[in-house]
Amino acid sequence: MDVLNGWWDDYFWGAVIVAKVFIASLSLMIIFGLLGAAAKLSDNRLAQKIGGAYTVIFRGTPEILVILLLYFGSAIALTALVQLFNPEVRFVDVPPFWAGTIAIALIVGSYATETFRGAFLGVNPGSIEAARALGMSPLQTFFYIRIPEMWRIALPPFGNHMLSLIKDTALISIIGLNETMFVAKQAITVTGKPFTMYIVVGLIYLGFSTIITLTVMGIEKYGNRTTVGAQ
Amino acid sequence: MSDNPTRPLIEMAAVSKFFGDFQALRNIDLVVHKGERIVVCGPSGSGKSTLIRCINRLEKHNEGIITIDGIELTDKVADIDAVRREVGMVFQSFNLFPHMSIIKNLMIAQQLVRKTPKKEAREIAMHYLQRVKIPEQAEKYPIQLSGGQQQRVAIARALCMKPKIILFDEPTSALDPEMINEVLDVMVDLADEGMTMICVTHEMGFARSVADRIIFMDEGEIIEQASPADFFDNPENERTSAFLDQILKH
Repeated sequence: MDVLNGWWDDYFWGAVIVAKVFIASLSLMIIFGLLGAAAKLSDNRLAQKIGGAYTVIFRGTPEILVILLLYFGSAIALTALVQLFNPEVRFVDVPPFWAGTIAIALIVGSYATETFRGAFLGVNPGSIEAARALGMSPLQTFFYIRIPEMWRIALPPFGNHMLSLIKDTALISIIGLNETMFVAKQAITVTGKPFTMYIVVGLIYLGFSTIITLTVMGIEKYGNRTTVGAQ
Repeated sequence: MSDNPTRPLIEMAAVSKFFGDFQALRNIDLVVHKGERIVVCGPSGSGKSTLIRCINRLEKHNEGIITIDGIELTDKVADIDAVRREVGMVFQSFNLFPHMSIIKNLMIAQQLVRKTPKKEAREIAMHYLQRVKIPEQAEKYPIQLSGGQQQRVAIARALCMKPKIILFDEPTSALDPEMINEVLDVMVDLADEGMTMICVTHEMGFARSVADRIIFMDEGEIIEQASPADFFDNPENERTSAFLDQILKH
Protein backbone atom coordinates (compact mmCIF):
# COMPACT_ATOMS: atom_id res chain seq x y z
CA MET A 1 0.00 0.00 0.00
CA ASP A 2 3.06 2.20 0.18
CA VAL A 3 2.59 3.12 -3.48
CA LEU A 4 -0.53 5.04 -2.50
CA ASN A 5 1.38 7.36 -0.21
CA GLY A 6 1.32 10.83 -1.62
CA TRP A 7 -1.78 10.15 -3.74
CA TRP A 8 -4.42 10.18 -1.02
CA ASP A 9 -5.05 13.89 -1.13
CA ASP A 10 -5.27 13.83 -4.94
CA TYR A 11 -7.88 11.10 -4.67
CA PHE A 12 -9.69 13.06 -1.99
CA TRP A 13 -9.94 16.18 -4.12
CA GLY A 14 -10.87 14.02 -7.11
CA ALA A 15 -13.74 12.60 -5.04
CA VAL A 16 -14.82 16.11 -4.09
CA ILE A 17 -15.03 16.95 -7.80
CA VAL A 18 -17.08 13.79 -8.43
CA ALA A 19 -19.48 14.91 -5.71
CA LYS A 20 -19.71 18.42 -7.17
CA VAL A 21 -20.37 17.10 -10.69
CA PHE A 22 -22.97 14.74 -9.29
CA ILE A 23 -24.87 17.43 -7.43
CA ALA A 24 -24.78 19.90 -10.34
CA SER A 25 -25.74 17.28 -12.93
CA LEU A 26 -28.49 15.85 -10.69
CA SER A 27 -30.19 19.24 -10.48
CA LEU A 28 -29.88 19.73 -14.24
CA MET A 29 -30.99 16.16 -14.93
CA ILE A 30 -34.23 16.70 -12.99
CA ILE A 31 -34.89 19.89 -14.93
CA PHE A 32 -34.15 18.24 -18.31
CA GLY A 33 -36.26 15.23 -17.37
CA LEU A 34 -39.25 17.34 -16.29
CA LEU A 35 -38.99 19.56 -19.36
CA GLY A 36 -38.70 16.51 -21.60
CA ALA A 37 -41.73 14.89 -19.97
CA ALA A 38 -43.71 18.14 -20.19
CA ALA A 39 -42.83 18.42 -23.90
CA LYS A 40 -43.81 14.83 -24.63
CA LEU A 41 -47.09 15.15 -22.73
CA SER A 42 -47.96 18.54 -24.18
CA ASP A 43 -50.71 19.02 -26.76
CA ASN A 44 -48.31 21.01 -28.92
CA ARG A 45 -47.06 18.90 -31.86
CA LEU A 46 -43.76 20.77 -32.11
CA ALA A 47 -43.05 20.30 -28.40
CA GLN A 48 -43.85 16.59 -28.75
CA LYS A 49 -41.41 16.30 -31.65
CA ILE A 50 -38.65 18.13 -29.77
CA GLY A 51 -39.20 15.92 -26.74
CA GLY A 52 -39.17 12.83 -28.94
CA ALA A 53 -35.98 13.89 -30.73
CA TYR A 54 -34.31 14.58 -27.40
CA THR A 55 -34.92 11.10 -26.05
CA VAL A 56 -34.03 9.39 -29.34
CA ILE A 57 -30.73 11.25 -29.71
CA PHE A 58 -29.45 11.06 -26.16
CA ARG A 59 -30.60 7.52 -25.45
CA GLY A 60 -29.33 6.33 -28.82
CA THR A 61 -25.73 7.55 -28.82
CA PRO A 62 -22.71 6.45 -26.75
CA GLU A 63 -22.29 8.56 -23.65
CA ILE A 64 -18.61 9.18 -24.19
CA LEU A 65 -19.37 10.51 -27.67
CA VAL A 66 -21.93 12.96 -26.29
CA ILE A 67 -19.37 14.27 -23.81
CA LEU A 68 -16.72 14.73 -26.52
CA LEU A 69 -19.10 16.33 -29.00
CA LEU A 70 -20.51 18.68 -26.40
CA TYR A 71 -17.06 19.66 -25.14
CA PHE A 72 -15.47 20.30 -28.54
CA GLY A 73 -18.69 21.49 -30.13
CA SER A 74 -19.30 24.13 -27.50
CA ALA A 75 -15.64 25.21 -27.65
CA ILE A 76 -15.86 25.67 -31.42
CA ALA A 77 -19.19 27.48 -31.18
CA LEU A 78 -17.97 29.73 -28.40
CA THR A 79 -14.73 30.50 -30.25
CA ALA A 80 -16.67 31.48 -33.36
CA LEU A 81 -18.92 33.69 -31.26
CA VAL A 82 -16.05 35.44 -29.50
CA GLN A 83 -14.19 35.91 -32.79
CA LEU A 84 -17.13 37.94 -34.07
CA PHE A 85 -16.24 40.59 -31.54
CA ASN A 86 -12.51 40.03 -31.25
CA PRO A 87 -10.83 38.36 -34.27
CA GLU A 88 -7.51 38.19 -32.35
CA VAL A 89 -8.74 35.33 -30.15
CA ARG A 90 -7.49 31.92 -31.36
CA PHE A 91 -9.39 29.49 -29.18
CA VAL A 92 -11.83 29.68 -26.27
CA ASP A 93 -11.61 26.91 -23.76
CA VAL A 94 -14.84 25.58 -22.26
CA PRO A 95 -14.46 24.46 -18.64
CA PRO A 96 -14.56 20.63 -18.71
CA PHE A 97 -16.52 20.67 -15.45
CA TRP A 98 -19.51 22.35 -17.05
CA ALA A 99 -19.24 20.67 -20.45
CA GLY A 100 -19.13 17.28 -18.73
CA THR A 101 -21.83 18.08 -16.18
CA ILE A 102 -24.25 19.29 -18.84
CA ALA A 103 -23.44 16.32 -21.10
CA ILE A 104 -24.20 13.64 -18.51
CA ALA A 105 -27.24 15.58 -17.26
CA LEU A 106 -28.60 15.60 -20.82
CA ILE A 107 -27.94 11.88 -21.25
CA VAL A 108 -29.48 10.73 -17.99
CA GLY A 109 -32.17 13.40 -18.32
CA SER A 110 -33.35 11.68 -21.50
CA TYR A 111 -33.95 8.48 -19.53
CA ALA A 112 -35.58 10.47 -16.72
CA THR A 113 -37.90 12.02 -19.32
CA GLU A 114 -39.48 8.60 -19.89
CA THR A 115 -39.63 7.91 -16.15
CA PHE A 116 -41.37 11.20 -15.37
CA ARG A 117 -43.70 10.86 -18.35
CA GLY A 118 -44.85 7.43 -17.23
CA ALA A 119 -45.20 8.59 -13.64
CA PHE A 120 -47.33 11.58 -14.61
CA LEU A 121 -49.60 9.27 -16.59
CA GLY A 122 -49.77 6.97 -13.57
CA VAL A 123 -51.32 9.61 -11.29
CA ASN A 124 -54.91 8.67 -10.47
CA PRO A 125 -57.15 10.90 -12.62
CA GLY A 126 -59.69 10.78 -9.79
CA SER A 127 -57.34 12.74 -7.52
CA ILE A 128 -56.99 15.44 -10.15
CA GLU A 129 -60.74 15.57 -10.63
CA ALA A 130 -61.33 15.81 -6.89
CA ALA A 131 -58.87 18.70 -6.63
CA ARG A 132 -60.57 20.54 -9.47
CA ALA A 133 -64.00 19.88 -7.97
CA LEU A 134 -62.78 21.42 -4.70
CA GLY A 135 -61.98 24.58 -6.65
CA MET A 136 -58.20 24.19 -6.83
CA SER A 137 -56.68 25.83 -9.91
CA PRO A 138 -54.78 23.81 -12.53
CA LEU A 139 -51.51 25.21 -11.16
CA GLN A 140 -52.38 24.34 -7.55
CA THR A 141 -53.49 20.89 -8.66
CA PHE A 142 -50.18 20.45 -10.48
CA PHE A 143 -47.98 21.41 -7.55
CA TYR A 144 -49.97 19.96 -4.65
CA ILE A 145 -51.46 16.84 -6.21
CA ARG A 146 -49.81 15.79 -9.47
CA ILE A 147 -46.14 16.41 -8.59
CA PRO A 148 -46.22 14.67 -5.18
CA GLU A 149 -48.17 11.68 -6.53
CA MET A 150 -45.97 11.50 -9.62
CA TRP A 151 -42.85 11.63 -7.50
CA ARG A 152 -43.78 8.57 -5.51
CA ILE A 153 -44.23 6.53 -8.69
CA ALA A 154 -41.02 7.89 -10.22
CA LEU A 155 -38.76 7.37 -7.23
CA PRO A 156 -37.61 3.74 -7.66
CA PRO A 157 -36.50 4.17 -11.32
CA PHE A 158 -35.18 7.60 -10.41
CA GLY A 159 -32.80 5.94 -7.95
CA ASN A 160 -31.34 4.01 -10.88
CA HIS A 161 -30.88 7.24 -12.83
CA MET A 162 -28.92 8.65 -9.89
CA LEU A 163 -26.62 5.62 -9.96
CA SER A 164 -26.09 6.05 -13.73
CA LEU A 165 -25.26 9.66 -13.12
CA ILE A 166 -22.62 8.99 -10.47
CA LYS A 167 -20.97 6.36 -12.66
CA ASP A 168 -21.02 8.63 -15.71
CA THR A 169 -18.97 11.21 -13.84
CA ALA A 170 -15.97 8.88 -14.42
CA LEU A 171 -16.28 9.52 -18.18
CA ILE A 172 -15.58 13.20 -17.78
CA SER A 173 -11.89 12.48 -17.15
CA ILE A 174 -11.60 12.09 -20.91
CA ILE A 175 -11.98 15.83 -21.43
CA GLY A 176 -9.46 16.57 -18.70
CA LEU A 177 -11.52 17.01 -15.56
CA ASN A 178 -9.28 16.06 -12.65
CA GLU A 179 -11.69 13.73 -10.90
CA THR A 180 -10.70 10.33 -9.46
CA MET A 181 -10.24 8.54 -12.83
CA PHE A 182 -7.96 11.33 -13.95
CA VAL A 183 -5.99 11.10 -10.71
CA ALA A 184 -5.64 7.33 -11.17
CA LYS A 185 -4.24 7.76 -14.68
CA GLN A 186 -1.67 10.25 -13.44
CA ALA A 187 -0.74 7.99 -10.53
CA ILE A 188 -0.30 5.04 -12.90
CA THR A 189 2.17 6.89 -15.12
CA VAL A 190 4.25 7.69 -12.05
CA THR A 191 4.01 4.40 -10.12
CA GLY A 192 3.28 1.83 -12.82
CA LYS A 193 0.61 0.19 -10.61
CA PRO A 194 -2.65 0.28 -12.63
CA PHE A 195 -4.56 -2.33 -10.61
CA THR A 196 -3.99 -0.67 -7.25
CA MET A 197 -4.79 2.78 -8.56
CA TYR A 198 -8.01 1.72 -10.31
CA ILE A 199 -9.14 -0.31 -7.30
CA VAL A 200 -9.05 2.88 -5.24
CA VAL A 201 -11.29 4.55 -7.81
CA GLY A 202 -13.63 1.59 -7.65
CA LEU A 203 -13.87 1.81 -3.87
CA ILE A 204 -14.58 5.53 -4.01
CA TYR A 205 -17.43 4.97 -6.48
CA LEU A 206 -18.81 2.08 -4.43
CA GLY A 207 -18.86 4.43 -1.46
CA PHE A 208 -20.80 7.03 -3.43
CA SER A 209 -23.31 4.54 -4.83
CA THR A 210 -23.88 3.03 -1.39
CA ILE A 211 -24.74 6.47 -0.03
CA ILE A 212 -27.11 7.09 -2.94
CA THR A 213 -28.80 3.70 -2.61
CA LEU A 214 -29.33 4.16 1.11
CA THR A 215 -30.68 7.66 0.57
CA VAL A 216 -33.14 6.49 -2.07
CA MET A 217 -34.23 3.62 0.17
CA GLY A 218 -34.84 6.13 2.97
CA ILE A 219 -36.88 8.42 0.74
CA GLU A 220 -38.85 5.49 -0.65
CA LYS A 221 -39.65 4.36 2.84
CA TYR A 222 -40.82 7.87 3.67
CA GLY A 223 -42.87 8.03 0.47
CA ASN A 224 -44.43 4.64 1.16
CA ARG A 225 -45.50 5.54 4.69
CA THR A 226 -48.82 6.28 3.00
CA THR A 227 -49.18 2.78 1.58
CA VAL A 228 -48.17 0.57 4.50
CA GLY A 229 -50.67 -0.90 6.91
CA ALA A 230 -53.25 -1.15 4.16
CA GLN A 231 -56.24 -3.24 5.07
CA MET B 1 -73.11 35.15 -4.53
CA SER B 2 -76.05 36.65 -2.73
CA ASP B 3 -78.73 34.58 -1.16
CA ASN B 4 -81.98 35.07 -2.94
CA PRO B 5 -84.57 32.76 -1.41
CA THR B 6 -86.79 32.65 -4.48
CA ARG B 7 -84.06 32.07 -7.03
CA PRO B 8 -83.35 28.41 -7.78
CA LEU B 9 -79.87 27.18 -6.86
CA ILE B 10 -79.57 25.13 -10.02
CA GLU B 11 -81.25 25.83 -13.32
CA MET B 12 -80.61 23.71 -16.38
CA ALA B 13 -82.40 24.68 -19.57
CA ALA B 14 -82.31 22.56 -22.74
CA VAL B 15 -78.90 21.15 -21.85
CA SER B 16 -77.28 18.67 -24.21
CA LYS B 17 -73.93 16.98 -24.00
CA PHE B 18 -72.09 15.00 -26.65
CA PHE B 19 -69.10 12.68 -26.41
CA GLY B 20 -68.07 12.61 -30.05
CA ASP B 21 -71.15 11.31 -31.89
CA PHE B 22 -72.72 9.90 -28.76
CA GLN B 23 -75.30 12.13 -27.15
CA ALA B 24 -75.05 11.67 -23.39
CA LEU B 25 -77.62 14.29 -22.38
CA ARG B 26 -80.70 15.27 -24.39
CA ASN B 27 -82.48 18.51 -23.74
CA ILE B 28 -82.31 18.41 -19.97
CA ASP B 29 -84.52 20.85 -18.06
CA LEU B 30 -84.03 20.79 -14.34
CA VAL B 31 -84.64 23.27 -11.54
CA VAL B 32 -83.41 22.67 -8.01
CA HIS B 33 -84.28 24.95 -5.09
CA LYS B 34 -82.41 25.50 -1.88
CA GLY B 35 -82.79 22.62 0.55
CA GLU B 36 -84.15 20.21 -2.04
CA ARG B 37 -82.98 16.61 -1.97
CA ILE B 38 -82.96 15.04 -5.36
CA VAL B 39 -82.19 11.43 -6.18
CA VAL B 40 -81.24 10.59 -9.74
CA CYS B 41 -81.60 7.01 -10.87
CA GLY B 42 -81.72 5.06 -14.09
CA PRO B 43 -79.92 2.28 -15.93
CA SER B 44 -76.17 2.48 -16.43
CA GLY B 45 -75.19 4.67 -19.34
CA SER B 46 -78.34 6.76 -18.98
CA GLY B 47 -76.43 9.99 -18.35
CA LYS B 48 -76.91 10.31 -14.57
CA SER B 49 -73.25 10.94 -13.79
CA THR B 50 -72.82 13.19 -16.79
CA LEU B 51 -75.76 15.25 -15.59
CA ILE B 52 -74.27 16.01 -12.19
CA ARG B 53 -70.75 16.37 -13.57
CA CYS B 54 -72.03 19.17 -15.79
CA ILE B 55 -73.23 21.03 -12.69
CA ASN B 56 -69.66 21.65 -11.47
CA ARG B 57 -68.26 21.60 -14.98
CA LEU B 58 -66.19 18.47 -14.69
CA GLU B 59 -67.95 17.97 -18.01
CA LYS B 60 -68.63 20.83 -20.35
CA HIS B 61 -72.14 20.92 -21.80
CA ASN B 62 -72.49 21.60 -25.52
CA GLU B 63 -75.96 23.14 -25.73
CA GLY B 64 -78.33 24.89 -23.39
CA ILE B 65 -77.79 26.98 -20.28
CA ILE B 66 -76.70 25.94 -16.79
CA THR B 67 -76.97 28.52 -14.03
CA ILE B 68 -75.75 27.82 -10.51
CA ASP B 69 -76.88 30.29 -7.85
CA GLY B 70 -77.15 33.00 -10.47
CA ILE B 71 -73.84 32.29 -12.20
CA GLU B 72 -74.03 30.94 -15.72
CA LEU B 73 -71.48 28.26 -16.53
CA THR B 74 -69.47 29.32 -19.55
CA ASP B 75 -65.80 29.05 -20.45
CA LYS B 76 -65.04 31.88 -18.02
CA VAL B 77 -62.58 30.37 -15.56
CA ALA B 78 -63.50 32.80 -12.76
CA ASP B 79 -67.13 31.71 -12.99
CA ILE B 80 -66.23 28.04 -13.01
CA ASP B 81 -64.04 28.52 -9.95
CA ALA B 82 -66.80 30.46 -8.21
CA VAL B 83 -69.29 27.67 -8.89
CA ARG B 84 -66.88 24.97 -7.74
CA ARG B 85 -66.40 26.80 -4.45
CA GLU B 86 -70.15 26.46 -3.80
CA VAL B 87 -70.67 22.95 -5.14
CA GLY B 88 -69.16 20.01 -3.29
CA MET B 89 -68.78 16.61 -4.87
CA VAL B 90 -68.45 13.09 -3.55
CA PHE B 91 -67.22 10.44 -5.98
CA GLN B 92 -67.89 6.75 -6.33
CA SER B 93 -64.20 5.93 -5.84
CA PHE B 94 -63.67 8.41 -2.96
CA ASN B 95 -60.68 10.09 -4.70
CA LEU B 96 -58.90 11.08 -1.52
CA PHE B 97 -55.38 12.40 -2.05
CA PRO B 98 -53.27 9.31 -1.27
CA HIS B 99 -50.11 11.20 -0.33
CA MET B 100 -51.78 13.30 2.35
CA SER B 101 -52.99 12.36 5.81
CA ILE B 102 -56.73 12.50 6.40
CA ILE B 103 -56.53 15.86 8.15
CA LYS B 104 -54.43 17.30 5.29
CA ASN B 105 -56.97 15.99 2.80
CA LEU B 106 -59.54 18.10 4.61
CA MET B 107 -57.33 21.17 5.00
CA ILE B 108 -55.64 21.58 1.64
CA ALA B 109 -58.50 23.08 -0.36
CA GLN B 110 -59.59 25.28 2.54
CA GLN B 111 -56.09 26.73 2.67
CA LEU B 112 -55.54 27.06 -1.09
CA VAL B 113 -59.01 27.96 -2.27
CA ARG B 114 -60.71 29.61 0.70
CA LYS B 115 -57.41 31.04 2.01
CA THR B 116 -58.38 29.88 5.48
CA PRO B 117 -55.49 30.18 7.97
CA LYS B 118 -53.94 26.82 8.87
CA LYS B 119 -55.11 26.73 12.47
CA GLU B 120 -58.68 27.53 11.56
CA ALA B 121 -58.63 25.05 8.67
CA ARG B 122 -57.53 22.35 11.08
CA GLU B 123 -60.34 23.20 13.49
CA ILE B 124 -62.91 23.09 10.71
CA ALA B 125 -61.46 19.78 9.50
CA MET B 126 -61.65 18.24 12.98
CA HIS B 127 -65.20 19.51 13.37
CA TYR B 128 -66.35 17.70 10.22
CA LEU B 129 -64.33 14.58 11.02
CA GLN B 130 -66.27 14.45 14.28
CA ARG B 131 -69.50 14.86 12.34
CA VAL B 132 -68.68 11.81 10.23
CA LYS B 133 -67.58 10.07 13.45
CA ILE B 134 -63.94 9.31 12.69
CA PRO B 135 -61.89 12.05 14.41
CA GLU B 136 -59.44 9.40 15.66
CA GLN B 137 -58.32 8.69 12.07
CA ALA B 138 -57.09 12.26 11.47
CA GLU B 139 -53.40 11.47 11.24
CA LYS B 140 -53.74 8.28 9.17
CA TYR B 141 -53.43 7.98 5.41
CA PRO B 142 -56.37 7.14 3.15
CA ILE B 143 -55.20 3.61 2.34
CA GLN B 144 -55.20 2.73 6.04
CA LEU B 145 -58.96 3.33 6.22
CA SER B 146 -61.83 1.10 5.15
CA GLY B 147 -63.90 2.06 2.11
CA GLY B 148 -66.77 3.33 4.23
CA GLN B 149 -64.41 5.43 6.33
CA GLN B 150 -62.74 6.83 3.21
CA GLN B 151 -66.09 7.84 1.77
CA ARG B 152 -67.05 9.54 5.04
CA VAL B 153 -63.75 11.44 4.88
CA ALA B 154 -64.60 12.43 1.30
CA ILE B 155 -67.95 13.79 2.48
CA ALA B 156 -66.24 15.67 5.32
CA ARG B 157 -63.72 17.07 2.80
CA ALA B 158 -66.56 18.43 0.70
CA LEU B 159 -68.32 19.87 3.80
CA CYS B 160 -65.17 21.72 4.92
CA MET B 161 -65.62 24.01 1.92
CA LYS B 162 -69.10 24.97 3.27
CA PRO B 163 -70.79 24.28 -0.06
CA LYS B 164 -74.36 25.29 -0.84
CA ILE B 165 -74.92 22.12 -2.84
CA ILE B 166 -73.40 18.65 -2.62
CA LEU B 167 -73.38 16.28 -5.56
CA PHE B 168 -73.07 12.56 -4.84
CA ASP B 169 -72.00 10.37 -7.74
CA GLU B 170 -72.94 6.81 -6.73
CA PRO B 171 -71.30 7.24 -3.31
CA THR B 172 -72.00 3.71 -2.10
CA SER B 173 -71.49 1.71 -5.30
CA ALA B 174 -67.86 0.89 -4.60
CA LEU B 175 -68.48 -0.15 -1.01
CA ASP B 176 -68.83 -3.55 0.58
CA PRO B 177 -72.44 -4.08 1.69
CA GLU B 178 -71.67 -3.81 5.40
CA MET B 179 -70.22 -0.34 4.89
CA ILE B 180 -73.03 1.16 2.88
CA ASN B 181 -75.14 2.13 5.87
CA GLU B 182 -72.45 4.09 7.66
CA VAL B 183 -72.19 6.33 4.57
CA LEU B 184 -75.94 6.58 4.05
CA ASP B 185 -76.34 7.56 7.74
CA VAL B 186 -74.06 10.54 7.19
CA MET B 187 -76.03 11.50 4.09
CA VAL B 188 -79.33 11.27 5.93
CA ASP B 189 -77.94 13.54 8.66
CA LEU B 190 -76.94 16.05 6.02
CA ALA B 191 -80.37 15.91 4.45
CA ASP B 192 -81.98 16.47 7.84
CA GLU B 193 -79.91 19.62 8.27
CA GLY B 194 -81.31 21.07 5.09
CA MET B 195 -78.34 20.60 2.75
CA THR B 196 -79.23 20.87 -0.92
CA MET B 197 -78.19 17.57 -2.45
CA ILE B 198 -78.32 15.76 -5.73
CA CYS B 199 -77.55 12.12 -5.39
CA VAL B 200 -77.02 9.56 -8.11
CA THR B 201 -77.68 6.25 -6.41
CA HIS B 202 -79.26 2.84 -6.66
CA GLU B 203 -80.10 2.83 -2.96
CA MET B 204 -83.86 2.89 -3.30
CA GLY B 205 -84.47 2.74 0.43
CA PHE B 206 -82.50 5.95 0.81
CA ALA B 207 -84.36 7.48 -2.12
CA ARG B 208 -87.73 6.63 -0.67
CA SER B 209 -87.00 7.97 2.80
CA VAL B 210 -84.87 11.02 2.02
CA ALA B 211 -85.65 12.38 -1.44
CA ASP B 212 -88.07 15.21 -2.08
CA ARG B 213 -88.04 14.31 -5.72
CA ILE B 214 -86.77 11.36 -7.75
CA ILE B 215 -85.56 11.82 -11.27
CA PHE B 216 -85.50 8.84 -13.60
CA MET B 217 -83.20 9.04 -16.59
CA ASP B 218 -82.79 6.82 -19.63
CA GLU B 219 -80.73 7.33 -22.77
CA GLY B 220 -79.71 10.84 -21.76
CA GLU B 221 -83.24 12.07 -21.11
CA ILE B 222 -85.19 12.84 -17.97
CA ILE B 223 -88.09 10.42 -18.36
CA GLU B 224 -89.90 11.13 -15.15
CA GLN B 225 -89.70 13.37 -12.09
CA ALA B 226 -91.89 12.60 -9.12
CA SER B 227 -92.14 12.47 -5.35
CA PRO B 228 -90.97 9.14 -3.90
CA ALA B 229 -94.52 8.04 -3.22
CA ASP B 230 -95.66 8.64 -6.78
CA PHE B 231 -92.42 7.38 -8.25
CA PHE B 232 -92.47 3.99 -6.53
CA ASP B 233 -96.18 3.38 -6.37
CA ASN B 234 -97.56 5.06 -9.50
CA PRO B 235 -94.81 5.42 -12.07
CA GLU B 236 -96.19 7.15 -15.15
CA ASN B 237 -93.74 5.91 -17.72
CA GLU B 238 -93.34 2.31 -18.86
CA ARG B 239 -89.58 2.59 -18.80
CA THR B 240 -89.72 3.69 -15.17
CA SER B 241 -91.85 0.72 -14.18
CA ALA B 242 -89.58 -1.63 -16.11
CA PHE B 243 -86.55 -0.22 -14.31
CA LEU B 244 -88.21 -0.46 -10.91
CA ASP B 245 -89.24 -4.04 -11.62
CA GLN B 246 -85.63 -4.86 -12.39
CA ILE B 247 -84.06 -3.33 -9.31
CA LEU B 248 -86.80 -4.16 -6.80
CA LYS B 249 -87.14 -7.76 -7.97
CA HIS B 250 -85.26 -9.33 -5.07
